[in-house]
Amino acid sequence: MSTTNADLGEPTELSEDEQRAVEAQLFRLADDEFIQAERYTFWQVRAPTLESDLAVSNNAQDELGHARLWYDAIQQLGYSEESLIYESDPSDFQHSTLVELPFEEGDWANAVVRAYLYDVAEDIRLSALEESSYEPIRDRIGRIQGEEEYHLEHARSWLERMALDDDASERVQHALDELYPYALTLFEPVGDVEDDITNLGIRSMSLSEMHTEWADRVESFLTEQGFEVPTDAEPATPIGRDNQHTDHWHSLHEEMTSTYRNLGRNEATLLMDEDDE
Amino acid sequence: MSSDYDRPRADPDATACSYTDYETTDHATGDVPATGDDAEGLAREVWAELYTVEDPEMPVSIVDLGLIYGLDVAGNEATVDMTLTYSGCPARELILDEVEEAAERVDGIKNAEVRLVWSPDWSVDLVTEQGKEALREFGMSLE
Repeated sequence: MSTTNADLGEPTELSEDEQRAVEAQLFRLADDEFIQAERYTFWQVRAPTLESDLAVSNNAQDELGHARLWYDAIQQLGYSEESLIYESDPSDFQHSTLVELPFEEGDWANAVVRAYLYDVAEDIRLSALEESSYEPIRDRIGRIQGEEEYHLEHARSWLERMALDDDASERVQHALDELYPYALTLFEPVGDVEDDITNLGIRSMSLSEMHTEWADRVESFLTEQGFEVPTDAEPATPIGRDNQHTDHWHSLHEEMTSTYRNLGRNEATLLMDEDDE
Repeated sequence: MSSDYDRPRADPDATACSYTDYETTDHATGDVPATGDDAEGLAREVWAELYTVEDPEMPVSIVDLGLIYGLDVAGNEATVDMTLTYSGCPARELILDEVEEAAERVDGIKNAEVRLVWSPDWSVDLVTEQGKEALREFGMSLE
């Protein structure tokens, strides 16, 4: 779908409605990537081989980098890093519940399936943002797409190999049945602001169009590998996008922010303060 | 503002830090990368200092890596538009600091600021011939 919407201009030029829609798009991009990265790090010393430890760590680092790009864009609208991450209430976050679920040690199939379902959705979402009417979104897409290509390739190649082994296929199928309903929450709305996101040309595809494309791509690839895709599943609840999350998120958030709280911090620490020599 | 996104807002009266300023430009204007070939005067001296900043992991100048997208010198202020090879670059703050310090080493430059830009995207195609040579010597495989 081509858009004829006018460029929304600089962050400071947005009307209240435009800013609300831009934020709605940015928050899901940032929160999804951030929490996906956080969960990936569980695998960095637990994946099946040293190479997979490194691959998953690298993917985690990519997603953290992308989260940073999106949170930077949100900061242009007047937020601070502290308020966005460390001082936010867990229920302020709007990521899909797919990315907040914990992993069980040894269940590598679960990690691969989650990565695959997420990365296909991410690929579609990024394409739909390429021509965004908001420049800070548009300008970040190319860099992120270049890095995401490898994530998809990684997930697909693992699924292709696991499909060749009976035991591994069974675990993939089990993970697929469990995670598919959670993946559907990626396409759930955050509220009535959704229409503005497409009407203002911030994103070129509606949630339902993205869902359709995702379901087709996922079904086509996974069926080819011999898996059964639970296409009649309903989105899992809670859905995340509406600020409602599973209990797993609350404990993860507690863990993520514990150092900040325990040290009595009131500002985020950077790798190197600018005044350091 | 009332909205569905009620994270704590930043204090509108807070003093902006240079970190925030990095992000006010997202898109480089002009051809990239910039290497300062035809720079003159003070700008030329700034380019010379930028060339001395190396990637933290490889012995190659950030200018030869094609990471500098633009340099603007106005009076005693230098503004450097720059990108990074990788969005998750863990050395981000370190490199940005080094670039600002390098520019400020030039007599006549009082204040330097780096603006991080992400478009156009960086790729290995932006590495200069000199940079490719340095990378080959370091042992990287390049065409």
